[in-house]
Amino acid sequence: MPNRQAIDRRGYFEKGFGLAVARNWALCFLILMTASFSLAGPGFFDIVNFQNIVHLATGSFLLAAAETFVIITGGIDVSIGYVYGLSSVVAAKVMQLLLAAGLPIAPLILAGCLAGLLVSIIPGLVNGWLVTRFKVPSFIATMGMWGICNGLTLFFSDGFMPVMGPPDAVTKIGNGFILNIDPGKAVSFFGKPDYVADANIRFLLRLFPNSLILSILVLGVLGFVLKYTKFGRHTYAIGGSMDASRRAGINVDKHLLIVYTLSSFVAGIAGVFDVFQTGIGNYTSSGAMYELFAVAAVVIGGASLMGGKGRIFGTAIGVLLLAVLNTGLQIVGLPPFYRYIGVGVLLTMAVIIDQLFPDLF
Amino acid sequence: MNTLTANGKKALLAKLGSRWVLVFIVLELVFFSLSTTGFLSIDTAQMILFYGTEVFLLGTAELFVIITGGIDLSVGFVMGFATVIASKLMATFVNLGLSPLESVLASSILTLLIGLLPGLMNGWLVARLKVPAFIATFSMLGITRGFSELLLAGSPAKNLPALAGNIGNGYLLFITKRGGISFFNRPEVPRGEYVWAIVPVIVVLGFVFIAVFAFILNRTKFGQHIYAIGGNKEAAERAGINVRRDLIKVYMISSLFASLAGLAYTFKYITGKADAGSGMLLNGIAAVVIGGASMNGGSGSVWRTVLGCLVIAILETGLRIMNLQTFTTYIVIGFILIMAVIVDQLFLNSKRAEG
Repeated sequence: MPNRQAIDRRGYFEKGFGLAVARNWALCFLILMTASFSLAGPGFFDIVNFQNIVHLATGSFLLAAAETFVIITGGIDVSIGYVYGLSSVVAAKVMQLLLAAGLPIAPLILAGCLAGLLVSIIPGLVNGWLVTRFKVPSFIATMGMWGICNGLTLFFSDGFMPVMGPPDAVTKIGNGFILNIDPGKAVSFFGKPDYVADANIRFLLRLFPNSLILSILVLGVLGFVLKYTKFGRHTYAIGGSMDASRRAGINVDKHLLIVYTLSSFVAGIAGVFDVFQTGIGNYTSSGAMYELFAVAAVVIGGASLMGGKGRIFGTAIGVLLLAVLNTGLQIVGLPPFYRYIGVGVLLTMAVIIDQLFPDLF
Repeated sequence: MNTLTANGKKALLAKLGSRWVLVFIVLELVFFSLSTTGFLSIDTAQMILFYGTEVFLLGTAELFVIITGGIDLSVGFVMGFATVIASKLMATFVNLGLSPLESVLASSILTLLIGLLPGLMNGWLVARLKVPAFIATFSMLGITRGFSELLLAGSPAKNLPALAGNIGNGYLLFITKRGGISFFNRPEVPRGEYVWAIVPVIVVLGFVFIAVFAFILNRTKFGQHIYAIGGNKEAAERAGINVRRDLIKVYMISSLFASLAGLAYTFKYITGKADAGSGMLLNGIAAVVIGGASMNGGSGSVWRTVLGCLVIAILETGLRIMNLQTFTTYIVIGFILIMAVIVDQLFLNSKRAEG
């Protein structure tokens, strides 16, 4: 029975429960971290806090999901952080101008969103075009776009000033909840019950923030596309071997163009939603490094920068890990810069674990 | 006859293509001297070098890593880390009662030594644990950023010795209108009289280091090994090169130059800031790529990287003189970065077509 012996010689982490832990180490780590923060910090284990964490992580969720596609193809997109800022500023600017022109609220918000989303497509198209047509390494192409988008954003925001002026209604949508419950009295959807004053809104039990719905929707669609469609399978194939996919008849250039555009577009959704969350158009500051945190989340989620590997679910876990770390450290009372160190250590750990168990995934 | 001239044209184009960076620098100079007054002057040239010191040092830092086929994202924040360490140490030494010269020297040396640590860690992760350079150095970016802010605890270092500022903003040579020459110290002249100040000290110090490491890269066995590793890692290993050790050294060199950039910043602005180099990563990598290095490794030279840095430094100073806002610089650098690769690709293709 040579087979049996071979199986027995395998290590603990290569079978059964151990295998499950090693394969989902990020998830296990997330649960462990949540548990320890809940014990250590008052008010961490609280539905309001958890909703707050996912609400604040909306941008990170979308950016990381965008990055996942590009990383699976073996490329990298470092422009998304500034595409995010660009579409946020453009959307806010359009709303500001139309508000001054006296347009009613609903079409004005719609026009702002459309402008932000449309503008976000362009960097992606250019990135894809440079990568496929001119064989510019993705890092360089998107880094050039990083500079260009950063400059354009600062142009639209008149130097280092956030764009004020979108109507208040946008923050009501962006920070709203689906279920608003006044215990024992009333339940209302999308907005507070009429008799509750604005100041008392925090005493309501509010569930399912709108931002979470957006995250779930976008991540769900992208995850579905990646897992169950031909487009998704081709994405993995290109990341595995570009030559082989070309020989297998996949139109690699067209596919990459779509992937880079998609990545940029999803970053644009995140940017437009940023206006809904904050009520202003935020440019991306030079130390923000949204794109690098997105890459970090994707890698912690089990993707490889070599391409061919990665899941949207894993990416979501990676984002949650960073978000919980961030909020947890704040609640425990540690200064925010421990976050940078924490992310650095986590990220390296992720890759080392990945290296230690190369056959697991 | 016809074919001959065609060939000649092609050869000329190829020659221009391979030296397009020089052509571009000339174009930049022409453009700025037409659109501003007094651009072609010694003062402007010195200003370009003075404000560009960090870019030159960070470009060199990035070059070594890119030749091996890696990337170092941490240089900007290692630079910030170095400014924090240097300023904190200087203030501490002065408080302990050391003389300004002693405290400046001691803290500079200590900063460079401490600045080697992030590189050691990066190299160890990349060479030993096979962590992709992108990830390892991004982690180090976070760690150095965290530590800098931890050390600063919200407030910049105070009470730096004035000597640091004198070095950072000093010049090698001063010439008065009457022909008097003095070294290092601004001579006493009647108010309003013009004094020529030649060569900022900080630029000289920077270029001494760059020259030393250009020599190491071009003329030593270690330098050859760096190219070999970038060209083909496995072949280099089989040829008996100690790839692990050399890679660790390369990342330490990168960190060393980032720390040098940090020191230059501290001397120039007499302060320490965690985010002193946060916007510089684009410039550093752009300089190397404009200088013709390939991100796949195996190519690149210090001389051409210096030219790449010069492209950026001239651009930044020129746009500043034209009083254009920062965003123009970002846009133009982004464009040039992409153009650099496309031109190189086209040139490479035409070379291949020639056989």
